This record gives sequence, C-alpha cells and structure tokens, in this order.
Amino acid sequence: MTPNARTLVLVFAALALVAPASAQDPLEDPLYDDPPAISLRPFFLASGQNFTAKETFKAAFGRTVEPFWGGGAQVAFRNGLFVDVTVSRFKASGERAFRFEGQNFGLGIPLTVTETPVEASGGYRFHSSPRLVPYVGAGIGSYSYEEASDFSNDDENIKTRHTGYLVTGGAEFRLGRWLGLTADVQYTRVPGILGDGGISKEADEHDLGGLAARFRAIVGR
Amino acid sequence: MRAYPARVAVLAFVAALTASWIVRGQTAANHSLVVLENLGLPAIDEGVLQDDSHAPNTAEAIRRRALGAALAAQRTGHQTARYAPGRVIVKFRDAVSTTGRLTVLSTASRTASLRTRPSYADFDIVSIDPGEDAEAVARTLRARPDVEYAQPAYRMHTQLKPNDPLYAELQWNLPLIDLESAWDIQTQAGSAVTVAILDSGVAYQNATITTTIPAFHDEDGRPYPALGQVTIPYAAATQLVSPGRFVAPHDFIWDTTTPLDFDGHGTHISGTVGQLTNDNIGTAGVAFNVKLMPVKVIGGVWDDLFGSPNQGTDDLVARGIRYAADNGAQVINMSIGRTGPANCTTNSNADGCAPAVEAAIRYAVSKGSFVVIAAGNSFEDGNPTEVVAEIAARVPGAVSVAAVDRRATGQTGGHRCLGTAAQPDCHAYYSNTGSWVELSAPGGSERGFGRDGFVWQQAFNFNFTDTFLLPPSQYRAPRFDVFAYIGAIGTSMAAPHVSGVAAMLIQQGITSPAAVEAALEKFAVDLGDSGRDNTYGFGLIDARNALRGLGLAR
Repeated sequence: MTPNARTLVLVFAALALVAPASAQDPLEDPLYDDPPAISLRPFFLASGQNFTAKETFKAAFGRTVEPFWGGGAQVAFRNGLFVDVTVSRFKASGERAFRFEGQNFGLGIPLTVTETPVEASGGYRFHSSPRLVPYVGAGIGSYSYEEASDFSNDDENIKTRHTGYLVTGGAEFRLGRWLGLTADVQYTRVPGILGDGGISKEADEHDLGGLAARFRAIVGR
Repeated sequence: MRAYPARVAVLAFVAALTASWIVRGQTAANHSLVVLENLGLPAIDEGVLQDDSHAPNTAEAIRRRALGAALAAQRTGHQTARYAPGRVIVKFRDAVSTTGRLTVLSTASRTASLRTRPSYADFDIVSIDPGEDAEAVARTLRARPDVEYAQPAYRMHTQLKPNDPLYAELQWNLPLIDLESAWDIQTQAGSAVTVAILDSGVAYQNATITTTIPAFHDEDGRPYPALGQVTIPYAAATQLVSPGRFVAPHDFIWDTTTPLDFDGHGTHISGTVGQLTNDNIGTAGVAFNVKLMPVKVIGGVWDDLFGSPNQGTDDLVARGIRYAADNGAQVINMSIGRTGPANCTTNSNADGCAPAVEAAIRYAVSKGSFVVIAAGNSFEDGNPTEVVAEIAARVPGAVSVAAVDRRATGQTGGHRCLGTAAQPDCHAYYSNTGSWVELSAPGGSERGFGRDGFVWQQAFNFNFTDTFLLPPSQYRAPRFDVFAYIGAIGTSMAAPHVSGVAAMLIQQGITSPAAVEAALEKFAVDLGDSGRDNTYGFGLIDARNALRGLGLAR
C-alpha cells in the first residue's frame, strides 16, 4: 500500500470510530440535510488494487498492489439509488521476466504497463445515519490496457480494450453539507487481456481485475 | 605450405637460452612434453584460409580420424578403440569399506586393484590387466549390490566435421539466431559469466614447447620417421585473448594446468562462444565478453604423438565436468561425445552407457552449471544413439544440440523446414536425430553451399599443424602459432552457439540451469513437426527472444 493510501485509510478509520459516537437523531444532527431528488456529485478517486494475477504482477513489478488515480461523477437519487461513472488510470514500470516452475527471473528489460478503466456502476445508498452512508453497487467497465517494453517492435507491444465487471461496497462519511469521503472495497474481474501470452500465460492467470481499496472525495449533497 | 624459418630459428635460440631458466615451465609428470609458458613470439594470423582440403569425409578428414585410432592402438598395444584398456570406472555405494571394495574387486578380476582416487571424481578407477575385457569386468562389478555403477573408460571424440576455409561476409550463422538484436539488449555480451570449454584445449597463451616425437605407423602401416627432440612454437589465438579472459585452465590429458590445444577443435569452439567482436578483425563470437575456462579432456593426434599420459575417456570427461562446476563455470560446453546403446534411458548402467558422465552432469547442474552437449554427427552412419547427448534429455539443465544448415531462416524468415518443396528440410545431413535432441543451432553444411555453408572462427592454420597428413617424406614437426579463419561443420559447431546464448541468458538474470534450458526451448523457432521433434528438438535457438523474455500479456 502506498503512503498516500495508508494516510487515507487512517483518516477513514478515525472517522469510522467517531461516527458511532455521533449517531443521534438525524433531525438533531447539523449535517443532516434532506437530500434533493437528484444530486450530481463529482468525485476524485485514489485506490490501491491488489491484482488477482498475483504471480504475473510479482514477476514484472515485484508487487501485486498498484495505485489507481482518477475521478468521476455520481448521480444520487433521493430514494437511495445511485449511478457512478469513474475513469481511473494506473501506470507502472517494471521489467520483463521469465517464469519457470513457479520461480520468476527478472531480465532487467524495462516494461511499462498502463491500465485505464472506464467504469459505470449502480447501486443503493443506505441513509441510516447523516454521517455514515453505507452503499453497495455493481457495474460494468471498459478496461484499456497498454503494455510496452524496450527492444520491442511495434507489433510486440500491446494496446487493447476489454470489458470487465465489478461489485463494490463501502460507506460514505459526510464531512459537511457539500463534502463526503467514501471508502469502499471493489472487486473487478477483467477477462480477455491476460492469460494468452506472456508471464500471465505461464502463471495461468487470466484476470486483470482484483480487489481494490478505493477512497473518494465526493462533492455534493 | 609456407614456412617461417626465421621465427623457428629465433624460437630455438630463445628456447636454448632458457633451457635452465624456466619461466613457468610445466613438465607433465613422467612425460616428455615441456611447456615454457608465456615464452614465444606472437601468433601469425593468415586470415581466411581458402582451402577446403578438410571437407567432411574427404581423404584428409577420414585419415585424421583413422590415424588417431591407429596411434591409440599403437600406444596401448590393443585394438580396443571403444574404450581405454586396463581400467574400469567404479562407483561403490558409500557404506562399502575399503576392505569390502577390495573383496568386490577380487570377484570381478584377479588382476583388479584400486588406484588412488583421482581429483574431481566421485568414483574410483580400478586397474585391470590391459588384455582383460573391461566391459565384462564392469558387468560383473555392477551386478554386485555394493556397486552403484561400473563402466569401462569409453573414449570420447570431438563432434567436429572439420573444414578449412568474417561477420558480414561469412557468418550466416549468427544472424540466423538473431544475435544482432540480442547484442542490442545485452551490450555486455556475457561479461560476468564463465563458460568452460571441455574440449581439446584452447590456444590461450604463448608458449614454447619442447618434446620428442617418436616414429609411428599410420593407419595403412606406412612408417613415419621419428623427429627426435623438437622445439615447437605455440601462440595464443589473437581473436580469443583479452585481459582476464581465461580462468582456471586445467588439462586432464596431460595432468597440468596448461590445457594447450594441439588440435584446433577447442580453439574453434571457443571462438564461436566468445571470439573477440566488434574490433574490426576477423569473425565475431556469440557472447564475446564471456570468461573462458579451458578444460582439456580430449586429446588430438599430436597429444598422442607427444606421449600424453591420458586420452579422452569417460572418466576424464566426468572429472572435467566436475572440475568446471567446482571452479565456477556457469556454462559447460561439450562438443564431444560417443555412441552407445539405445537403452541407457531405462538402464543407465547397461553396457556402453556412461553413468560416470551422467553423475558428473547431474552434479554440475546441481552446482548451477548449464551443460550443453553436441548431439552427434553420425546420422548418415546409421544414426546411432549418442550416449552423452542422450543424458541431457533426462537432466533438466543440460541440453543436447542438433545442427541445422543454411537453409534455415530463423524467426523472421518464416521457414519451418517442413521437408516440403516450399519449405525444404534444413536438417544438417550429419546431425543425429533421436528422442534426446532438444535444441537446434547452426552447425553448417557444405552440401548445396560449399564453403559458404560452414561455421567460421579463428583456429590453427591446419597446413602447419596437420603435418601427419602429409606423405612420410614431407612429414615434419607442427607449429601452433599460425592462425587462420577456418570453416568447420558439425554439431560441435552448433553446441557453442547455445552455450554463448546461455551465457547471455544467465547474465540477463536466468540463473537456474533448468530455467535456462526452459527459456531456450520456449523461445526456439519451432522447426519441422509442430512442437518437439526428433530432428530439431524444440527448434532453432533464438537469442533475441530468449533474452527478451516475457511481458505480462505477451
């Protein structure tokens, strides 16, 4: 987990501890605000994804968790339903490798991977407390994947896009009338990119998805 | 043949002056060869030798082989060409005491006695009467429960199909395995890796040799006169030597630490692995910055005539492999081999198998050495099983290498050598086929290409070394200081391509021998039948792709 992500986790953990103590009659809570029928809420995203293709990522980057940065918008309805559209990106540099009988051998040849998910999801927000709003959702994404390495011909580099699926669950912490922070866990499954070649084929790993801890700063009521 | 009388005179004078002042002289124990190391004039480089009198199966090539066999028989008094008479290689089980071992020996032969265990051996050498059938003695011994294996000291031979006749002009073989792209990836070209050349020695230093050459009869019984005491100039191959290049040299044929090549085979092989490159001179090598460890385990005709105490047999080769592994060789090139029975895979202790060599290869791989073995040149001679190469197929981390000729086009050519009119076979006509073949590399062929089909590296100008091929009246002492670029063909030439690429792979980061083998096989250009086949194994090695390895998705 990156230092930024770690800081965010600590902030949310502190908020989570405080929230129950503040749980009181919503009508008496200064943060309580009768939500509008439809609210458009832009957000900024930081996440750390633990990729399902662990061996593949370990071989190339020496780790399985990579940070994503992005943003998007949420349309929230008074009845609790919401729709999110998120665009994020991760870019990492590692090395090409060879894998044999479970052992990875780094070859020192620079390799850069860029993934750009465009995800649309919908779900439900539980207005159980003015400060803490749990939510669950599911959706679909289009995942752009680029892989390039030194000493490669153009046709040996990869630029592709595949569809994937996601489910998510977490909570929004209301910090004020117009600002919230969300923390959630999102599981994505992205078939069709890994597994047909490269280290992923050797490791028999076919999913570019993974389990992400996501943090969003969300603006709006 | 040209002569250099002035050089010889100078050398004789220098040798006389230093007769009592030996700089670092080595005399092989109890033998007539005196090597004054680092004493001698530099080599003469005669460029490309436009001479094809050493084409495969020419009279010269056949004579060289026959003469070697005849000399061996003359030295030993026995026509046991397949193995050295008078000894058996035995590995007793660990629990067997010395007394127990002697008891076991007495059951196998009245004349059997245990010699002092040689260095770099996990086996013992048992002396028997030279007239006894060593194979029968070995058979009796290995029937005993206290014996792990027993075998005669079978003779090994080089896998060269020698020929006599620079990068862009001659070396079709290096672009074929995509080396130019590989050198772009790894500019160091194996500088941190040591490759042992288990062969006939290497021309790696200057020396002056004094020896007595006796009379002999050639294979047809023609007498050749004794040359008496001679002083022979010896020089390092100009395109092999650079500072710090040679490490831990050892000579098991002469029991010294100066494995000088009196044949040319080992020097040619060393050139393919690591000829000095990009210096505007001569030919290129595959991993041109590797360190080379010359380990002499095979003798040539001159070693016989100089009276070498040992010949290239299984025990020496096994010790050579262990020596190389113990002294830090990460790659061991064995462009040597011998034929044997087809059942060693199921019973490595059967008659004619090489359990001592197999144990040594397994030991070397366990110590981190990748072992490369030539698959053999006997395809047109009945395609017998090559027992040493065949060992490689059952040891992950050791590979056997077949040869392709110039018809192969490599990764970019798209030619899979399917044996069809559109994609003709590119199997080198001499290269053995069999279930043990794992990889292919350029070995060359004169058929259809003439001299353009050879593998070219710097070696001795054979006109100055192979004087034993001349009629008796023209026969004279050799000199080993005149070099030329020599074309040769054979699986001997194919194997060092693999050794060189393996050295580069190890430098790139693939340090496990089994993984090196897996990488070479995975990235080979599949030739012939889809997947592994008995002609090309997993296919033609591809240096660039092997070195480049894998990305996440491609």
